[in-house]
Amino acid sequence: MARKKFEEEDVQANLLPVMNIMFLLIPALLLAMEFASMASINVSPPKFSSAPSEPKPDDEKKEKPLNLKVFVMEDGYRVSADGQQEGAEAGKAADSKAPTIPLAKAGAPLNDWDRYDYKALEASAAKYKSLFPNETIVTISAEAKIPMQAMIYTMDALAGNSCKIGKALKGEKVPDDCYFWQPIVEGGAG
Amino acid sequence: MTPDQEAFLAKKKEKAAARRQKPEEKGELGMTSLMDIVSIIVVYLLKSYASDPVVINPTAGQKIPLSTADAPMQDGIPIFVTLRGITFDDKKIVSMTPEGDIDPNSVNQHLIGPLYDALAEQVDKAKTLGENTGKPWAGRAIIVGDQELKFSALVDVMYTAGRAEFTDYSFCIIRKG
Repeated sequence: MARKKFEEEDVQANLLPVMNIMFLLIPALLLAMEFASMASINVSPPKFSSAPSEPKPDDEKKEKPLNLKVFVMEDGYRVSADGQQEGAEAGKAADSKAPTIPLAKAGAPLNDWDRYDYKALEASAAKYKSLFPNETIVTISAEAKIPMQAMIYTMDALAGNSCKIGKALKGEKVPDDCYFWQPIVEGGAG
Repeated sequence: MTPDQEAFLAKKKEKAAARRQKPEEKGELGMTSLMDIVSIIVVYLLKSYASDPVVINPTAGQKIPLSTADAPMQDGIPIFVTLRGITFDDKKIVSMTPEGDIDPNSVNQHLIGPLYDALAEQVDKAKTLGENTGKPWAGRAIIVGDQELKFSALVDVMYTAGRAEFTDYSFCIIRKG
């Protein structure tokens, strides 16, 4: 009996429906994508009372707290540690007339981001950090008109501009060039 | 016309007739290489989409502050605060004055009424969802501000979020460089 000869047919998958879906996915994903690299600064909530917070029972710190506070005023920074403003007149806890760190660009408008002396503030933060290496918290307050960008740059300077805290938040060791990277925002400086 | 030319024309006609009689070939597009490229693009886009827990799409005209901070964005509820108003859940809730302050009719002792109502509603929903899914509610507010946003407005938004039981706050920034 003669056997039938089978010829292999060249079967090709129809890719057009797949391509249609792929081409629809591309614009949808592009729309949902971030083009600028976003990150975040974690801050603690504002406090409206001057009363110190109650110590936690598991707080085992025996070191006296630094209680570093930075006030962003229209004429510059006022930096105080443990209730004493740096650079205040002798015998005074705070000096409303003289800022600790004056403006880098006196007379510049508030939306000029180079208005404040961030380098001097960072140097001051480094100095305090060397004295209190375990401190990471800083309280920041500002006058009502101070723009958010100036606040963010102030936080960057206090944390250290080269500070990369991202990995530390995932459990790695906090880098040595990170100073005060846990800001508390406090209302009512002016 | 010379015999050579005549012969040439005759040959040309023959060729044209042969071309006309030949059946049309079916042209096919080579899809494989195109599929490769498109698949790579889709996988890349899907990966970059999946790596961020929150996707922030700034509102029109909003300038998000720049920073050197590199902490990754954590899951939370975004509140958009611009110089035009406060937007929450894709709805503009509060307007700003031309001076950049929050509409005084909406604020009472730092509490922004309409924002508080919207946040409280969202918190209730998130808590119920958390109870049903067994995943505790994080209570994190992501404040997507503007470079020129006044500190007074920022503090009022934070205070209002705090009253609506938000315990953690993040400022959304764009990484410098």
